[in-house]
Amino acid sequence: MLRAIGKRDRDIFDEVWPEKRKIVLKLLRQETVSQREWQDLFFGVHFVCLWDEKGAAKIYDGLQQDIVEFIVQAQSKVQAQRGEQALLATYIVEWRKFFTQSNYLPLPFRQLEQSPQVKPPSGSGSASGSGSSTSAASTSNAAAAAGGSSSSNQAASSSSSSTKASTSAAAAAATSSSGGASSTTSAASNSASAASSSKKGITEDSPVRKLMLDSWNKHIFHDIKDRLQESAMKIVHAERNGDAYDAQLVVGVRESYVNLSSNAEDKLEIYREHFEKAYLKATADFYRLKSTEQQQENGVLAYMKYADAKLREEEVRAKRYLEPSSFNILTCRLVKVLIVDHLNSIIAECPALIRDYETDRLNLMFRLMDRVLDGEGVEAMMGDLQRHIKSAGLADMQSASEIITQDSEKYVERLLELFNKFSDLVRNAFNDDPRFLTARDIAFKMVVNDTSVFKMELPTSIANRGVKYTAPESKCPELLANYCDMLLRRTPLSKRLTSEQIDARLRDVLLVLKYVNNKDVFMRYHKVHLTRRLILGTSADSEKEEDIVEWLREVGMPADYVNRLARMFQDIKVSEDLNTQFRNSISRHDAINIKILNAGAWARCSERVSVSLPIELEDYIPDVEEFYKKKHSGRKLQWYHHMSNGTITFVNNFGRYDLDVTTFQMAVLFAWNQRQHDKISYENLRLATELPDPELRRTLWSLVAFPKIKKQILLMEPTAIGSPKDFAENTMFYINQEFAIVKNGKSQRRGKLNLIGRLQLSTERSQQEDNQSIVQLRILRTQEAIIKIMKVRKRMNNAALQAELIDILKNMFLPSKKMIKEQLEWLIEHKYMRRDDDDINMFIYVA
Amino acid sequence: MADDGENSLDSRPNDDSKPEKMFTLKKWNAVAMWSWDVECDICAICRVQVMDSCLRCQAENKRDVLGRQDCVVVWGECNHSFHHCCMSLWVKQNNRCPLCQQEWSIQRMGK
Repeated sequence: MLRAIGKRDRDIFDEVWPEKRKIVLKLLRQETVSQREWQDLFFGVHFVCLWDEKGAAKIYDGLQQDIVEFIVQAQSKVQAQRGEQALLATYIVEWRKFFTQSNYLPLPFRQLEQSPQVKPPSGSGSASGSGSSTSAASTSNAAAAAGGSSSSNQAASSSSSSTKASTSAAAAAATSSSGGASSTTSAASNSASAASSSKKGITEDSPVRKLMLDSWNKHIFHDIKDRLQESAMKIVHAERNGDAYDAQLVVGVRESYVNLSSNAEDKLEIYREHFEKAYLKATADFYRLKSTEQQQENGVLAYMKYADAKLREEEVRAKRYLEPSSFNILTCRLVKVLIVDHLNSIIAECPALIRDYETDRLNLMFRLMDRVLDGEGVEAMMGDLQRHIKSAGLADMQSASEIITQDSEKYVERLLELFNKFSDLVRNAFNDDPRFLTARDIAFKMVVNDTSVFKMELPTSIANRGVKYTAPESKCPELLANYCDMLLRRTPLSKRLTSEQIDARLRDVLLVLKYVNNKDVFMRYHKVHLTRRLILGTSADSEKEEDIVEWLREVGMPADYVNRLARMFQDIKVSEDLNTQFRNSISRHDAINIKILNAGAWARCSERVSVSLPIELEDYIPDVEEFYKKKHSGRKLQWYHHMSNGTITFVNNFGRYDLDVTTFQMAVLFAWNQRQHDKISYENLRLATELPDPELRRTLWSLVAFPKIKKQILLMEPTAIGSPKDFAENTMFYINQEFAIVKNGKSQRRGKLNLIGRLQLSTERSQQEDNQSIVQLRILRTQEAIIKIMKVRKRMNNAALQAELIDILKNMFLPSKKMIKEQLEWLIEHKYMRRDDDDINMFIYVA
Repeated sequence: MADDGENSLDSRPNDDSKPEKMFTLKKWNAVAMWSWDVECDICAICRVQVMDSCLRCQAENKRDVLGRQDCVVVWGECNHSFHHCCMSLWVKQNNRCPLCQQEWSIQRMGK
């Protein structure tokens, strides 16, 4: 060796290299290389580089020649194959061999990396600095590339595991085909494995490796890549058609594409530009044909199944044949070909499926459509669902309109049945997807607030503010309140149900209420019913009464409204105590119970009706007032006789009956106490009772034509009067002496009868005013809310103000655009706020 | 409300004296509403109806649903009326009626 020092540069290379070259060739051919030879190679390279100025370049050139030569041999071997499978198989065997060696061969030539004579690999990302610094970044890649022996990095686990499996399989294939060479492979890999595991990061970026891969790329790959690709695609195609295939061949081709890349920044460049592209195109072409064919042959419904199955199948296939980075792209392309291109014909089936409640198919369609990125298909389905619920719901309501407009129980139950049906549909077909839940809710809202089945008319104008306002609204809230009343009152319905069933139904009512726009109407009716129950003492369960108040609070009813209800409960308790004290104080008053209530909590608009009480009742009044004055000061009492009621005993020729009656009915009936058999004219009854005309008509009607009883208390002349409006001044009334309570077709001599029916809490006039006061209250609430918002915001544009306003008011009612506008004008007129001088849509709060 | 068949014994005295009365009262549930006997039903201090509890009490009521009834009305010698709660806060600053500026002295208090 020392001898070499004296020699000239060129000689050193010439002398050393031929020996070393043999080792290189052996390595390339995967022949056995002894440990000594391996080490010699290291030394030789080192030596040449050290002593020969141009040694590095010379070695590089020599190496290049050898590699190219080797590759050309391999190429001829591959090119000689005719059949596609054989071509692929040969190529893969050759490539695997070569690629394995590309991991080891560069090791001895590390010296070259430091040499300026050898061009660094493509500028950036060079390994020229300290080798270890790049290792972290490149180990994961290296692990994937080198596969097999190394302990793979966590980050690369998914990709490496698939490669790992296929490499080992490929190794097995290689052994079988190349026969005798097998032992050399394992020897080489054994000897190198220790080195490679520690220096992998360096091998990756080594110029020699790059040289090897680039040469391969240039000499073999470039020439036959089209054939390779084509063959691979043919195999995939055959596989799709269900023919026999050898998946390993495709995998092998893909691997060669991936590993060939010497571009450090984008390892998958070659793979993407050739293999992935071809694969995508082949897939799309295949299914473009197939999908149309399938749809034409088997119809859309079967096609959906086909598309779904194929999407899954292709996902599995992609895992075998493609890099993970391609999965999404492939799925996108498939969705386009299999679904988007057939979107319209698929969607066209949707309404019928919804109509027929085909949850499985809808679910399938939903899953397909959900893959489409822009959500167009899902939106169309939502639209179909919404339309269906609305039209089916309304059709259902309308077909049953005769029953349900009369019967709140049937109405609510029908509505709930409908809701449950569609909720089930959304659950089963659409997995309760939020988008479909929203569509369902919108449709429910439309059904509930629809005014075509029945409606209430809100007044057209309110005189004192000059507001004209007309809008029919759904009667739903009123019927809901009626249904609540039936559940909470002692009725056949509430007796039939268990406590849990009643709770469940009340919850259902609240569920429906959620969809009602005009909740304020519900509140009003609910309060009326509650008032009636508390005054007549007909609550089925006072605990439930208070429960539901809390539930109403929970679902977001306005606090002041709920508090008012709570106050009524309290007040009735206070009043009960007072009644006990009163009855204890004066012993002779055992026929009277008093309820003295807080006008603030109960009275609302209902005005009082004057009535001339029968003397039996009138006598009690001073006693009560005196008693009350002793207990309280500064209070005034007002009698609400239209709320009072009582029980009277009625004796006639036939028997003796207890009648529950209103005070007004009492006033009318007691008129006959002095003249039992007389006929009394309407006019005289009015004089006797001093009841206002509408109230008297109503009361008389309840006595001559009380529903559902065979024999009425009062009879009239002429008998052919069809409604209370037809009573004339001279219509005559007289007591039915043959009156009897009829049970099972037999007249009873004793019995009890309730003639109160629904206690009229409001007078005829106030009922009209009722709706007006709803509107009035809405106006005030709207003004109040506008001011509340403006006070905080100071400046606000119209759109934002309206949005916030609706949000505040939505738990009571939905303010109409027109009303909002009118109230804004009113507030501006009254200087609560003003418009911006420059922007007419900008409002400014005026303190 | 017991069945009337047995009840007839109790009501006999009535029947005996005036046997032929067709309708007799058995029970009357009379309903009345009370309100403060005031001229103006809005408290000039808190602008809330005197029948409702004053603003302050309403706010506290939210925490404690029960236990209102304390927010009574007070009348001054001038016959103006306010929530007692409101007025007792008012007189700490100014011992005059907020409506007529007369010296405030309580005439009576609601109970």
